[in-house]
Amino acid sequence: MNQTGRYFRLLFSFAKFSLASEMAFRWNFLMKVALELLWLVILIVFYRTLFSKTGTISGWTEGEYLFFVGCYYALEGVIESFFLENATEFSELIRKGDLDFYLLKPVDEQFLVSFRKFDWSTAPKVLIGGVLMAIALKQLEWVFDPIKIMAFITLFGGGIALAYGFLLALASTSVWLVRNQSLLELWWLFTTLMRYPREIYQNGWAWSLWVFFSFVVPAMLVVSIPAETMVRSIDPFWSIWVVISAILVLLASRWFFRRAIRSYRSASS
Amino acid sequence: MTSVPMDLSVPVKAPGFFGSIRKYLNILKVSLVERLAYRGDFLLGTVLRFLPMISAILLWKSVYLGADTDVLSGYTYSQVIAYLLLVHVSRMFSSMPGLAAGVARDIRDGNLKRYLIQPLDLMSYLLAYRAAHKMAYIATSALPYAGLFIVCAGYFETLPSLATIGFWLLSLLLGFLLGFFFELTLGMLGFWMLEVTSFLYLVNTLNFFVSGHFFPIDLMEPAGLVVFLKMLPFQYLAYFPAAIFLGKIPPDQLLPMLGVQLLWVLFFALVSRILWRLGLRRYSAFGG
Repeated sequence: MNQTGRYFRLLFSFAKFSLASEMAFRWNFLMKVALELLWLVILIVFYRTLFSKTGTISGWTEGEYLFFVGCYYALEGVIESFFLENATEFSELIRKGDLDFYLLKPVDEQFLVSFRKFDWSTAPKVLIGGVLMAIALKQLEWVFDPIKIMAFITLFGGGIALAYGFLLALASTSVWLVRNQSLLELWWLFTTLMRYPREIYQNGWAWSLWVFFSFVVPAMLVVSIPAETMVRSIDPFWSIWVVISAILVLLASRWFFRRAIRSYRSASS
Repeated sequence: MTSVPMDLSVPVKAPGFFGSIRKYLNILKVSLVERLAYRGDFLLGTVLRFLPMISAILLWKSVYLGADTDVLSGYTYSQVIAYLLLVHVSRMFSSMPGLAAGVARDIRDGNLKRYLIQPLDLMSYLLAYRAAHKMAYIATSALPYAGLFIVCAGYFETLPSLATIGFWLLSLLLGFLLGFFFELTLGMLGFWMLEVTSFLYLVNTLNFFVSGHFFPIDLMEPAGLVVFLKMLPFQYLAYFPAAIFLGKIPPDQLLPMLGVQLLWVLFFALVSRILWRLGLRRYSAFGG
């Protein structure tokens, strides 16, 4: 218990320190927030455009899809605030051979590498995503249902765990692959799978993608399943699978991370 | 960059025809070896790079299925997909990765004096440099793109006439110049702003959207937005060339619009030149 408390205190200090360093470059910070807002506007104009042409997209009505967009935006906010910058930096630490300093500290390496910086500029996205989801629920005349909310929160957590696991694994590959392209770009390409409802892949040859990214690398479930649960009904099979796969992916990515650390050879020392 | 050991036993005498061929084969070999040094990463990146394209195709498929119609805002499903492919070609010409950031960095770090003390005009030098890079890039990516277009040939319902292809190439060329001078103008802001990277990121993201990179501008809602976006210079970076290829520009508007594209090129060339002059007046070279 004492140990857990220590990690929470560390997390708090990281966040505080990050805020202080952000505030040293206030204009840059505001610019980053503006960028996130611009991305939101783009998502919404895109969504409005799609639904000006059609009433449903692979079975998703306009209100349901808005909820999906809000859910995606909020999840993106969590991942970017906590992990994305850290994962990018992890790649750099390996490339430059500076990881040694982290390995020497009396803290779990994965914790240190994953949480060291907190990106405050993306944190408002969680709130804005929440507002979008609320607007969508109002449009859908959603009836309050505490069980659904609990299920949603659990599955949203599962989605975060899945996304974090994939990100950690992707960042860990930097130990073996000589990296020539930015991790940020690879991650951006990969998250395409989470950005749209998974049903759009249920079409001809794309079914193979659907199967692969639902069961082997379950990236398509990250946003789709929590959103479906909230605006439709709780699907026992997929809900349980998200929880199980989240645990499996977390364990696998931790194992993969430790393996990567073991293969890490420092540079220039 | 890794250095690649290379067999340098090239004959000294005039190379002749076969010698020339061998020279280019060697260049090809070296480029391939360089690529393969990053093979794992290259493979991962190549596989992931297909995801947005595939997802876009499937998303639009769903939209057309949901709408239960063949034509939306004048575009058939195949035309939207063809457009998404063509817009990549537009971008191949008009995107200038790192140009503005590089100029701004040179200004901030004081590296600019390297150009100032030489009998050389920075803007012309950069233009020549970019043109060479673009040519090399287009030459090396022509083959994979040709493959992609052959696989997706089914989405091209009609092939454009020779004249249309001529206009398309002309607009691509102007797109290159417009992209260059627009980025250069942004880079000149480095004279007044110390840190421009976040700002550039913002502009680039916006640019992607308003230039019609995600989907044809004509489809955008509300309709007032379409009219507005078509007044901006950005559509000439992505939308316009692709629209020419697909025959979406009425013939009587083709030449006037190319003229407007040319005017935008001249506009940004002028603005960047003025900013350059003004900036130099307040420029002080830091560092030794």
